[in-house]
Amino acid sequence: MSESVKRTRPKTAVDVTMPNVGERTYSLFNIWVVTLALKLLLVVSYHSTDFDVHRNWLAITKNLPVSKWYIENTSQWTLDYPPFFAYFEWVLAQFVPEVVKQDGCLALVEKGAYSLPTVYFQRLTVIVSEILLFVALQWYINSSDSQASKRRAYVAASSLALSPGLLVIDHIHFQYNGMMYGILVLAITCARLKRYLMCGFWFAVLLCFKHIYLYLAPAVFVFLLRAYCLNLEFDPKRKMVENLIYLVKWKNLSKLGALVVAIFAVAFGPFVYYGVMPQLLARLFPFSRGLTHAYWAPNIWAIYSFIDRLLIQVYQRVPLSQYPLQKIFKFDTSLLSNSKFINSSTRGLVGDIEFLILPTITPQLTFFLTLFYQIMALIPLFIQPNFRRFIGALTLCGYSSFLFGWHVHEKAILIVIFPISFLVCRDRRLLGPFNLLVSCAYISLFPLIFTPNEWLIKVTYTLLWYIIYYFNFRKVVRLPKDARESSYILDRVINTYILGLLPVLIVISLMDLLEGKFEILKKLEFLKLMIVSVYCGIGIISSWNGFNWLYFLHDDIWEDDSKESSN
Amino acid sequence: MAKSKKKSKQALVKKPTTPFVATPATTQSQSIFKSSPVYELLHYFEKAPDQWAARYIIVMSSIILKTAIGLGGFLGQGKPPMHGDFEAQRHWMELTIHLPVSEWYYFDLQYWGLDYPPLTAYHLYLLGKIGSFINPTWFALNSSRGIETNEVKFFMRFVSLLSELVLYVPAVLTLANMMGKRFNLNRMDQMIISVIIINQAHLALIDHGHFQFNSVMLGFFVYSLINLMRENYVLASIWFVSCINFKQMGLYYSTFIFVFILSQLKSFIHLIVIGLTVVLTSFVIVIPFLKDPKNLLQILIRVFPFNRGLFEDKVANFWCTANVVIKFREIIDASQLSKLALISTVGAIIPMNILLFFKCKKPQNVAPGLIYGFAGNALAFYLFSYQVHEKSILIPLLPSTLLILIKPELIDIVQWINNVGTFSLYPLLKKDGLILQYFVSNLLINWLIGPKLLFKNSGILWGLITKGSYLLMIVYHLLDWFLLPPARYPDLWVILNITISFGAFFVFWLWLNFKVYKL
Repeated sequence: MSESVKRTRPKTAVDVTMPNVGERTYSLFNIWVVTLALKLLLVVSYHSTDFDVHRNWLAITKNLPVSKWYIENTSQWTLDYPPFFAYFEWVLAQFVPEVVKQDGCLALVEKGAYSLPTVYFQRLTVIVSEILLFVALQWYINSSDSQASKRRAYVAASSLALSPGLLVIDHIHFQYNGMMYGILVLAITCARLKRYLMCGFWFAVLLCFKHIYLYLAPAVFVFLLRAYCLNLEFDPKRKMVENLIYLVKWKNLSKLGALVVAIFAVAFGPFVYYGVMPQLLARLFPFSRGLTHAYWAPNIWAIYSFIDRLLIQVYQRVPLSQYPLQKIFKFDTSLLSNSKFINSSTRGLVGDIEFLILPTITPQLTFFLTLFYQIMALIPLFIQPNFRRFIGALTLCGYSSFLFGWHVHEKAILIVIFPISFLVCRDRRLLGPFNLLVSCAYISLFPLIFTPNEWLIKVTYTLLWYIIYYFNFRKVVRLPKDARESSYILDRVINTYILGLLPVLIVISLMDLLEGKFEILKKLEFLKLMIVSVYCGIGIISSWNGFNWLYFLHDDIWEDDSKESSN
Repeated sequence: MAKSKKKSKQALVKKPTTPFVATPATTQSQSIFKSSPVYELLHYFEKAPDQWAARYIIVMSSIILKTAIGLGGFLGQGKPPMHGDFEAQRHWMELTIHLPVSEWYYFDLQYWGLDYPPLTAYHLYLLGKIGSFINPTWFALNSSRGIETNEVKFFMRFVSLLSELVLYVPAVLTLANMMGKRFNLNRMDQMIISVIIINQAHLALIDHGHFQFNSVMLGFFVYSLINLMRENYVLASIWFVSCINFKQMGLYYSTFIFVFILSQLKSFIHLIVIGLTVVLTSFVIVIPFLKDPKNLLQILIRVFPFNRGLFEDKVANFWCTANVVIKFREIIDASQLSKLALISTVGAIIPMNILLFFKCKKPQNVAPGLIYGFAGNALAFYLFSYQVHEKSILIPLLPSTLLILIKPELIDIVQWINNVGTFSLYPLLKKDGLILQYFVSNLLINWLIGPKLLFKNSGILWGLITKGSYLLMIVYHLLDWFLLPPARYPDLWVILNITISFGAFFVFWLWLNFKVYKL
């Protein structure tokens, strides 16, 4: 059997079935140790206010009864993650050593007063909790059936384990994404092994840790529904009514339903019991924030805001443009004469006006757009509920939430990068969108870390990661059956665009560097962020287009291996 | 079958005609680093077309490591009025860019007067100019004293890394490549050895943590060594004169380079040419100071401070260790002490140099002889000479580390002496606030090599020495971590540290002598 599989398998760039490669074991342990060293050295690096946020949550969960967790507001950093994360913080708070306690780690105060011991402790919790990600990725590698697919899985898994995004966000900026994405990888691996119940379990757990993953929920829901709970194969021998009853696998549905309900009961039960659900929900879904975050995440709205800025300049400087612009967009000209509006950079909170010329974007519109594109992605998944479609749909759900969502953080891009990484090795054609996505996404994270000392680390690390994985993915991807389909011109264009990131990076770094010398550069602070957001935004939108093209029009990528071998 | 035979024959015939083309890694002997984690991490770039990528990966990962180490503290951070080495280097940038050359060695000697040779001054002048272009306040005369903003810290860290990348790293890569061809190391081993040399904890911690520019001096030295091996003695002398004119500590190498070149000379004219090169290079370096001959004397006075004493702080050499038992400074006065130190140093290096003078005449002994010679001489200077700093251990450690290029199987001994070297720097690093960085970088380099190689069997004696000293080091760190030294002997732990280190250095030095004898 294996012989026939080998013969029909599409050729890869390197013959991965070489005998000496065959005995290799693919372990992430060494990678973990090397990055552990780096992470330990980064303990003393810059950390953002997120550090104090998590410190405050440790204090809240340790000092207060459960009923008060979502009500307490001494500090502005109130608890706004779902209950499992609060439980997680509670567990961590139990391990706080005496020295760290005295340092002010568990003090319920408006603004944390802490020093090195607290930093060491909290940084270590991130490092330790991230082990879950490595375990999950190792499981993903080990559960691959053939040596060739193990090697592909290893490249994908190590690219995620070494991800510059995680390094920058978790180990410098400070968050716990490593652990969260570890849970997501567990869910994905379960889906690959067709353990649907476990897949549902892990995903429900994940949702109770951080609600941003709600954006992926439609794909998981449709996948589990179709693959686990529905049976669309009509049996002509049976009666119509019988067929309709057997349409639903009642046993599976009740198992899955009970499991998910149980998890949510564990998570939210105590809060229902204490009657603090309204406060909890208000904390989780704050609709009082603006469309764009303080830094523009590189998405559609960044481009939209950019066009608005451009039109303002046109309106003010180009003669004769005022009348047609006024006619087309029908905006309020009095706002444009108000310099306060022109100069504010984000015009953040609701109630303020974000756009002066273009029409205002409402939360409803962003919600509608996100949902629309998600549903489009779900249709093929419903028809063909296999693992690859599932990952593809996850990726597209992530894309649409990132590109069209309300108040998106640039950090949210990981929600796209994680699923898509498991797909790239499948087909050479996916490499284009993937490279474009990761390069633009990781560069767009740079403004998060603005201190000079970490500059060299983030730049070198990202460049190093890109060099390693640009070549390694190329080595292991499958080539399409039809060689004509590989489009060299498109590849060239994509690579040129990616190389264009280097001048962008150099320009903004030079602007940073020479700020002390030329006063004017300080005023252009916002321009730097805009350049990055717009350039990366265009890249990410293009990668989304490319991915959509492959998702909807190239069915051969999405077929199961088993189907292929039977052909 | 027949076809393949023909092919292999052709290959055999072709091979001798192209001796300098690196043969593919797979055809050569098995790497001894197979069990090392560093091999596992790098082997994806083993194939010839990917090897260029491996070079970038090595260099970039070492940049990341050293920048991350640089996030820690440096000597005298936030400690006015004198601060530490970081402030000294910054202050020299400040004074060189603002003052005429003739005043460099006279300016405010009480506050970090310049006491390094002219090349350091020029180097800092250049960096200071760049820095002041970016932000003039960093190096404003007098008003910038003690400035420690994040920006200036980053600039200083960055230029020390840049200096290393321009000189030291390419020098080591070139040397690894050259020795690889000579001693038939496959590409993989060359890469791994480069990683081990470049990422040694002591140099990274001193240059990028504590803050100094040792890698520049060591880079000059490695280029000199490369040219000695290529038998280009004129170029080697130019590099070497640059080395000692960058930091006077480079003189630790000078006796042996003199002996070696003497042993290789074929005619008297050759000697004159080399002598002229040395004089000319030195002359070119001091040209800017020649307006007034008094300047030259002042440089010498500043660079060789004989009035400072036998040793400063605690250092793991003979004098400081023996001082625990015999209080030299109370028995003998300073001028006699310096003579005593001179006599013992000369006595320590003579046997080795006489042996090497004759042994290096055989061509096959040149490369090993050079490396043993430099390591042995520099270590003898460290152990016995006058006015030694703890940081001077970097000088014997570099040639000692290069030993693995000749015999990779010496890795356990070489890494052991490197570990001892880093260990001997621990009291200093502790003062700098680099404890975390010390442990992480040490564990990283040792783990990259792997326990199998670190504790491989090199005979009972070596097993006893290495394992015993590792055990002592662990005990030391436990003591240092958990117990305060008794109030009567506040330096007790430090003395324990230097005693362990001195013992290990001395054993290693004896072994080097033995190896030279066996050559």
